[in-house]
Amino acid sequence: MKPEIDVAELKEIISHSPQKPSSLIAVLQDIQRKFHYLPPEAIKETSSALGVPLSQVYSVATFYSAFSLEPRGKHTCRICMGTACHIKGAPMALEQAEDQLGIKAGQTTPDLRFTLEVVNCVGACAMAPVVIIDEKYYGNVRVDKMKRYLDGVRDED
Amino acid sequence: MKIQINGRWYEAREGEMVLDVLRREGIDVPALCAHEAVEPYGACRLCMVEITHEDWGGWKGNVTSCLYPVEDKLIVQTHTEDIIELRKTVLNLLLARCPNSPEIQKLASEYGIDTTSFVPREDADNCIMCGLCTRVCTQMGFNAISVAGRGYGREIATPLKEAPPDCVGCLACVKICPTHHIQYEDIGTTREIWGRQFELVKCKQCGKALITREFADYLIENRDIPADYFDICDDCKRSGTARDFKKLVHWEEKEEAEEEVSA
Repeated sequence: MKPEIDVAELKEIISHSPQKPSSLIAVLQDIQRKFHYLPPEAIKETSSALGVPLSQVYSVATFYSAFSLEPRGKHTCRICMGTACHIKGAPMALEQAEDQLGIKAGQTTPDLRFTLEVVNCVGACAMAPVVIIDEKYYGNVRVDKMKRYLDGVRDED
Repeated sequence: MKIQINGRWYEAREGEMVLDVLRREGIDVPALCAHEAVEPYGACRLCMVEITHEDWGGWKGNVTSCLYPVEDKLIVQTHTEDIIELRKTVLNLLLARCPNSPEIQKLASEYGIDTTSFVPREDADNCIMCGLCTRVCTQMGFNAISVAGRGYGREIATPLKEAPPDCVGCLACVKICPTHHIQYEDIGTTREIWGRQFELVKCKQCGKALITREFADYLIENRDIPADYFDICDDCKRSGTARDFKKLVHWEEKEEAEEEVSA
C-alpha cells in the first residue's frame, strides 16, 4: 500500500531549503520526516529543484539507512541486537514485538503505523536490552514491558 | 623529474600518477578500474605497488599506483612478494564475486588462481563494481546511471530502477566496462540499453543505423558539430571522398594520355 503524495506539499517542503545541490541531504531528511519515506515523486522533484542529477539523488537516497524508498510506519520501533543486548534477552523482546505487531523485523505494518527494525548497537549497553520507539529509549526491557510500550504509543495516536 | 621502477630510472611529469608512468613505459601492472577518460578512483586495488624514497628513512608503503602522484626520486617496486600476495587476495575476492567472467578468470590464472578459495557469489553477474560506467557517464555529462545502495547490496543502477530519463544510448558505459558486463542490443533501427529503447538515425545513403537520435542531437547542440553531420555515415563519407579523388586522378591520367598522343 502506497500512500497518496501531495505534490504541492512536496514542493513546499523542498522550498524551505536553499535551492542548490548542497541542500540535498537536508531536503531528503525533511521529506523523510514528513512522509516517513522518499516517494519516487520526491526523488524527481528534489532532483529538478536543486539541480542535482536524478541518478545522484537516487544514489544518496539508497546509501543512507536514514532514508527509505519503501513506505514506513508512522512509528519506528528499533530493537538493539548488539552483543550486550543480545545476551540480556533482546531476541525475546524482538519475538514479543513481532508477535505484537504481526510483522517481522525490517517490515512495516499494513496500516503504516509501525516499522520494526533491528539495529546493531546504540551505545547504551549499560541499560541493555534497549528498545527505541521513535526518539524514546527504553532500557532494561523485559518481554512483558514490550506490549506496554507499544500500547502506549498506540494510545497516543 | 625521475622515478625508479624496479631498479631502472624513468622520466615522469609533475601531476602524473605512478600508474600513468607504468603504463607509458609498458610495465605490466594489472588495473581494471583505471581509464584515461576518467579520473582515477582506486576501486579495483589491483595496481598496488610498493613505494619508498631515499629521504624516508627506510619507510616503505603499499599504495594504489593509480592514485599516488609521482615525486622526484620515488622508488617503486611492482612485483615484491607482498604486492603479489595482495594482488592474489584481490583476484581471489574478484573471482568469488564474478566467477564466470573470462577477464577475471584470465587475470587470476596469471597469478596462479584457478578457483576462488571463498564462496562464489550466487547468481553472479560480471560486474566488479569498478564504477567506470558511472564515471564515464558523468564525464560525458549525462549522469544517467549511478551506484545504488551500499555494502553487500551495492550495485550499478538506473534511478529508481526505471528506464533512465537522462540516458542517450551513447554506449560509453558498454565500451568502457572492463568485464563486458553491460549489455545492449541493436535490432534494426532500435537500440535497447538499461531497459530503454532508442530510435537510431539511419544513413541517408546506405541506410545503416549507427547512432541514437538523442545522442546525435546532443553532439550537434553541445560539441559544435554541423547539424547534417549524422545524415551520412562515416563509411559513405569516405567512399564519397574516394570517388572525388578518383575523378581527380582520372582527369590527370586523361591529360597525360592526351600529351602522349600529341607527342
